[in-house]
Amino acid sequence: MNGEGKGRFLVVAAIAASLALVVAYLAAGGSSYEPAKTQDPCKPRPWSEPEGLQGIAQQFSLSALDGAACELGVSRETLARALATPQSRERFSKRYGIDDAELARAIRAGLLRAIGDAERAGALNPLLAAPLRATVRQIPVDQAIELIKDARSLLNNLESFLGPAGGLIEQFLP
Amino acid sequence: MSPPRPRITALTVAVGLVLADSSIVVLALPQIYRDLDTSVAGVTWVLISFNLVMALAAVPAAHFARRIGPGRAAAIGLAVFAGAGLACGLSTELSTLIAARCVQALGGAAAVTAVLELLPATVGSERRAVAVWATAGAAGAALGPALGGLLTELVSWQSIFLLQAPIAIAVGVPVLAVARHEAATGIVSTELRRTGRPHLLANLALAMVSAAIAAALFLLVLLLIEGWRLSPIGAAIVVSVMPLAALLGARLGPAVGSERARAAAGAILVAGGLGSLALLPHAEVALTVPPQLLVGVGLALVLSALTETALAGRAPQAIHGGWTISARHAGVAVGLIVLTPLFTADLAQQRHDALDASTAVVLDSRVEPLLKLQLAQRIEERLEGERGKVPTLGPAFEPLPEDPADRADVILLREELQDQLDRAATHAFSPSFGLGALIGLLALIPIGLARRVDL
Repeated sequence: MNGEGKGRFLVVAAIAASLALVVAYLAAGGSSYEPAKTQDPCKPRPWSEPEGLQGIAQQFSLSALDGAACELGVSRETLARALATPQSRERFSKRYGIDDAELARAIRAGLLRAIGDAERAGALNPLLAAPLRATVRQIPVDQAIELIKDARSLLNNLESFLGPAGGLIEQFLP
Repeated sequence: MSPPRPRITALTVAVGLVLADSSIVVLALPQIYRDLDTSVAGVTWVLISFNLVMALAAVPAAHFARRIGPGRAAAIGLAVFAGAGLACGLSTELSTLIAARCVQALGGAAAVTAVLELLPATVGSERRAVAVWATAGAAGAALGPALGGLLTELVSWQSIFLLQAPIAIAVGVPVLAVARHEAATGIVSTELRRTGRPHLLANLALAMVSAAIAAALFLLVLLLIEGWRLSPIGAAIVVSVMPLAALLGARLGPAVGSERARAAAGAILVAGGLGSLALLPHAEVALTVPPQLLVGVGLALVLSALTETALAGRAPQAIHGGWTISARHAGVAVGLIVLTPLFTADLAQQRHDALDASTAVVLDSRVEPLLKLQLAQRIEERLEGERGKVPTLGPAFEPLPEDPADRADVILLREELQDQLDRAATHAFSPSFGLGALIGLLALIPIGLARRVDL
């Protein structure tokens, strides 16, 4: 092979090697190796099959978070982190320009959505849904803020914020 | 004067030493970043300043070498390089370090361009001198990060600079003999005459390819250390694939002969390697090896071919060598200046996306709600505490629950979270690697045009 032939061979070999590697990495999923995208909180999220009160409470809380996040125009994940501590809540309020009243209204809207989701999923008897809605609507703003401040109870124990209605849940669970 | 063999070694080591300096601190940057309490953008100026000053000073330094004699210029250059290296090693502030790096680049520019004037008499021909000079430069640039990483891990980042001083002095000894000869005879060995135009297209291609190579070295090291949490020595071992491949590329070069073909093939391989790094399918060290092989072989082919093209038939060699040094370092500096903001913005965005993805994993996990919130809080604290670095999440999960079922759930959750962070870290580098690949491909335009216009 003369010099020019060797040169051409080298260029062709370089193209082939480069393309082969790029195609191999693409085929192995290189174009989609990125962090999972968060879901739009305004879109309904299907309920998994919850087990017992604890499971329903979890689903309920997640639906409430989705609903509140949708109201505030942030992701469910951002709101969950904001509710973790008073400091994180303060950072969140400053960053997004959201005051406590707005946050309380959003949480209330989220709770109403969670009741609806639970009802549609068959996890909550419609007979219980109506008084629950009334309870949530009547929660005073300061109580809603207290509820938000103790975010753990929101996720940990649904009954604590449903008040007297909470005791009925066990009876109305499907 | 010293016999040729030690002198050839001294001259090639001098070139390799100076040109390795454009990349040698890459693996030390994370350590410097922490020790000197600066920002990612600030610490990159340790690299950028050296390359920028080399780019600006190379041609004037070549004129200086021709005016006072290459032996004397090389000796002075190496002495300045050594002294500034000591100053770098003793720096306790970023501003002092950057200033010392600028002085180091001035000395380096004088030494490297003067060596090109000294080599023909030592190796026997101008063509061979150019090949030796170009290969020494490419080897230095490729070896730099690995050597810097080893020294950072085994000793400290300061040792990189402190060790350069004795090496510069050692290689300066044979050069001093030439300088003494010049002083004794009172003649400057090279005739002062008008210089021809530099080879614009070859130098432009050299600048573009150098920008792409800088992207490969700089970004890969940051990905390994900051993204995948490798130690500097671990990263040094990984990136040593590139210089090893460059050795292979350097052996391929002479077998082919045609500079255009070598330059084109080299640019394609560099672009292919960078393109593959932009498409890594997992956060797996082994997956960086094939792209590094391409970049390593490619850089050896393209840098030597373009340097030889830029110098072929042009005199004086020191001036045109100065132009190639200027082009290479300008490419590196511009590449870093363009890529750093892009990369830091991507990293910030990916960090945010990773945080959201991690929180989603926690919220949707099977662990207890109370533990979920505690974990979310601890993860946020770790992310805040790492100043933008991708964190190791292990400590956020300590202590693990005692109940075996809960423990299994938490361990599964930890793995899922770490996967999200690895994805985010890897993905953050993709656009910058992609841009590097594009620059490498664009270098084919001046390489192709050079065929019609100038060769």
